[in-house]
Amino acid sequence: MSKFLKLATAASLALMIPVASAAAEGDAGEGEKVFKKCAACHAVGEGAKHKVGPELNALIGRPAGTVDGFKYSKAMVEAGEGGVVWSEETLHDYLEKPRDYIKGNRMSFAGLKKEDERADVIAYLKTFSAGAQPAAAAPAEAAPAQQAAVVAAPADAKNAPLPDHGVFHLGREATPEEIAAWNIDVRPDGTGLPEGRGTVAEGETIFAEQCAVCHGDFGEGRDRWPVLAGGQDTLKADRPVKTIGSYWPYLSTVYDYVRRAMPFGDARSLSDDDVYAITAYLLYLNDIVTDEDFELSKENFTSVRLPNEENFFMDDREEEAHYAAKTEPCMTDCKPGPVKITKRAAVLDVTPDADNEDQGVGAVD
Amino acid sequence: MSSVTGRNKTPVKTAQSTATVADPARRRLLTAGLAAGAGAALSGLAARPAAAAGGDPLITQVQDWNRYLGDGVDAKPYGTPSQFEAEVVRRDVPWLTADPVSSVNFTPLHELDGIITPNGLCFERHHGGTAEISPADHRLMIEGLVDKPLIFTMEDIKRFPRENRVYFLECAANSGMEWRGAQLNGCQFTHGMVHCVVYTGVPLRTLLEEAGVKSNSKWLLAEGADASAMTRSIPMEKALDDCMVAFKMNGEALRPEQGYPLRLVVPGWEGNMWVKWLRRLEVGDEPWHHREETSKYTDLLANGKARRFTWVMDVKSVITSPSPQAPVTHGRGPLVISGLAWSGNGTIKRVDVSTDGGRNWKTARIDGPSLSKALHRFYLDIDWDGSEMLLQSRAIDEHGYVQPTKDALRLARGENSIYHNNGIQTWYVQANGTVENVEVS
Repeated sequence: MSKFLKLATAASLALMIPVASAAAEGDAGEGEKVFKKCAACHAVGEGAKHKVGPELNALIGRPAGTVDGFKYSKAMVEAGEGGVVWSEETLHDYLEKPRDYIKGNRMSFAGLKKEDERADVIAYLKTFSAGAQPAAAAPAEAAPAQQAAVVAAPADAKNAPLPDHGVFHLGREATPEEIAAWNIDVRPDGTGLPEGRGTVAEGETIFAEQCAVCHGDFGEGRDRWPVLAGGQDTLKADRPVKTIGSYWPYLSTVYDYVRRAMPFGDARSLSDDDVYAITAYLLYLNDIVTDEDFELSKENFTSVRLPNEENFFMDDREEEAHYAAKTEPCMTDCKPGPVKITKRAAVLDVTPDADNEDQGVGAVD
Repeated sequence: MSSVTGRNKTPVKTAQSTATVADPARRRLLTAGLAAGAGAALSGLAARPAAAAGGDPLITQVQDWNRYLGDGVDAKPYGTPSQFEAEVVRRDVPWLTADPVSSVNFTPLHELDGIITPNGLCFERHHGGTAEISPADHRLMIEGLVDKPLIFTMEDIKRFPRENRVYFLECAANSGMEWRGAQLNGCQFTHGMVHCVVYTGVPLRTLLEEAGVKSNSKWLLAEGADASAMTRSIPMEKALDDCMVAFKMNGEALRPEQGYPLRLVVPGWEGNMWVKWLRRLEVGDEPWHHREETSKYTDLLANGKARRFTWVMDVKSVITSPSPQAPVTHGRGPLVISGLAWSGNGTIKRVDVSTDGGRNWKTARIDGPSLSKALHRFYLDIDWDGSEMLLQSRAIDEHGYVQPTKDALRLARGENSIYHNNGIQTWYVQANGTVENVEVS
């Protein structure tokens, strides 16, 4: 958020002050936040080392594919040899859609669609390049000004108008725009579904770019990331596989969750159509639809039911024998003979320690 | 009895290792030595620290701390625990989750006493990392089936009449790794997804009444501002009963990992519902069936069917000391058996302790406040004769619910429930004071 906006909210001004063209310049402080999307693969700053991608110190002015000690794709090296030098302009284009700008390069990141995010992250990276200006100045300036505004606000407490709602007359009415911005939840009856549509085939493309890195190309789940497909008929097995197709009761949950929280680490970046397409693809992966041309939309959404819907029921723990009785428990000679040990944690030995890499079973989520 | 494997790499302390053995290599040696030497390892155990000739040098010689000046008052503007308590920290179980950003760590219950958990030791569970939100930037929205949708700033919220309440918070998956049998050696790991603090905040009812709840409202959706935008459906009856919107814990601001600047408090109900970084409350007439109440936090039974909306945390207890990370280091004689009990239904009426694996029970002493839906501290002070023990505790709450055995739970539910495992825990105390997580006949 720009400092102007912060000031505006702090002073409880109802009017929006037009924001200067901060986006074009880029805000390094904001860029630091955007960079979190990159940080899984790239390091920058003092002591930064190569990770999945190269370290990004002194990036500006450097020809593409030329940092010592990093094994680049052939495409990236050739781009550098062909004259691509990282500047604000080239980065701006590259980061919009990395795979289009240098075809065949290995960076699997889909790109930063928002222009101001690109500007911000470039501004941030510039601070680690020679001749860069210190980036911290702007936010530091904003803080005292903001405080001053807060302190100055209740100048005339006696005559300040009180809202007419409620008992304490606290808070203010939410605007329809504000409610729309935050209320994105979807219910099984379709309440909350946005306008839009997407096909299985479209979903496959988006899934490969945005989701497969954790969930696998077919929703099989990499490492310990969630498995999204398969597992039908395993719910009574020793190791049930709980997926959208085998376990989840409602399709609306898929739409709601992907829209609010996915991709992991870049939430709210998908369009409503993208989410319809991904949801359609997940139905396809789970054999709930079989046609690649199937299009999921607001209109046909609630006609799709998930197979396990009927197998959920309300909490009835109170009826379990050990609770229902509520009898006074036994105090003496409660077991026939001396008690024997039947299971031991030391045999399994999965307790974490500095060098114990053994893994147990179970999960918390 | 020694089927302990040779490669003992657990953080289980042995009787010989003192509480401050910091070097893991040395600790492992000690542990391995114990496993190998087993029975004869009593040396140094029963022996009390005998006075050296002429007396204990800690007494007969002037110590540094007695001669030289310590730090002045401003050395640590925000105080921290003694350097000698460095092992008292939260720990995680890396293999449980795919990534530390959506993961959990555990309260070191074995090191704590009383009923209040220090803020820095309350276990963490987040689904999209810890959101860092300035209170000046935080907003709480109430909307849906209300007379007027409202936005509150933190300043607004702190102008409502507030209250202070002590509640435990337990993750529904606490002890979830133990469904198939004893697996983790330490009550930090088997039971450490629980904490108990005093919350300061505003009754949720007060905030809802400010917006005016419509008569057809039955459910409330709570939403967090973090990168998982966590949501849970809460029945309106509970929302209007004892829920709170809290901004302080143990007198100071919520810690970031506990939802700073604002979290929901849902007393006695599973921790996942206590939405952190609380930014929105939507009033509705139906539940939303979101991810954390369908795909997760539903309890799969052996017959393939699943319970949903299993909100209440059942009556439960655990002995925190002795326990695998807190062995008996002093030999026979007076021994304090100490533990925690809690129930999402109210107060704990009684805790029984068995030293013989559940054949015979003695009623323990509950000490300290007995508050509804808060941790209770119990003690059984015994004269230990130095022989093996199979320690168990069994809690009974004010409504007469009795903590069940793990086998009773498995009989009713199977082994795939993940959540709501409140079975009776057994610790095997060996003659040398070492303690292990076991199950018994």
